Amino acid sequence: MLSDLLDESLVLLDVEASDWEDAIRKAAQPLVDNKKVTPSYVDDIIKGVNELGPYIVITEHVALPHARPESGALESAVGIVTLKEPVEFGSADNDPVKYLFPLSAKDNDSHLGALQSLVELLSDPDFFAQLDSASTPKDVVDLVHAKEGRM
Amino acid sequence: MAKTYHALVCCRAGMGSSMMLKIKCDQVIKEEGLPIETEHGNLDSLIGFNGDLVITMSDLTDELNADSRVPSAVGITNIVDKNEIKEKLSAWVAEHAE
Repeated sequence: MLSDLLDESLVLLDVEASDWEDAIRKAAQPLVDNKKVTPSYVDDIIKGVNELGPYIVITEHVALPHARPESGALESAVGIVTLKEPVEFGSADNDPVKYLFPLSAKDNDSHLGALQSLVELLSDPDFFAQLDSASTPKDVVDLVHAKEGRM
Repeated sequence: MAKTYHALVCCRAGMGSSMMLKIKCDQVIKEEGLPIETEHGNLDSLIGFNGDLVITMSDLTDELNADSRVPSAVGITNIVDKNEIKEKLSAWVAEHAE
């Protein structure tokens, strides 16, 4: 379940970011602070986008910043971050990005259930409407719990 | 018996986007009864891959189509858009049907 990998310390709301790199670094910082990933993991996310383009922007207005597990994933985790002002990632179809779901994946299978829930949440317009009206990290965690309870 | 095509769903890390893309592709394949079976991996999984098709994020498609190990690459722009996945995979199957 996504709820198992998410907690309030990994949620940031209305973050101010100057560009895509700043947005990724700020969104991933709680994962570093909570020892879910090493700083080199975040560097590898940035490197991936620089080398291959904005492939982490997976649907409209949504980025899933993640890197190779061997670059410094310590524990599987997912954060949820909203930006005060959306930023351009250079994605032809899905820009600008307003929501980031930084992901740390320790191994291939343990987070499969969480990704399944995440895909369903991203397919749910109501989820984003409610995320927009959340005012605290606790609201966001409660929202995910409620959504998963109904899945 | 009709042929089943073998597809590798991959991204750079083989962890996040490719896993989610595989989940969504599998839903569409099942709903539409498309003759495709999927596995997932990272870009290194291309080494030794001898299937028919690679499915990836659209920003990676050009890179993959330029790779001689890739038989054919389909890029998905919006991984939660089942219609896009359905149209692109159905078109690929129609194009490759014998």
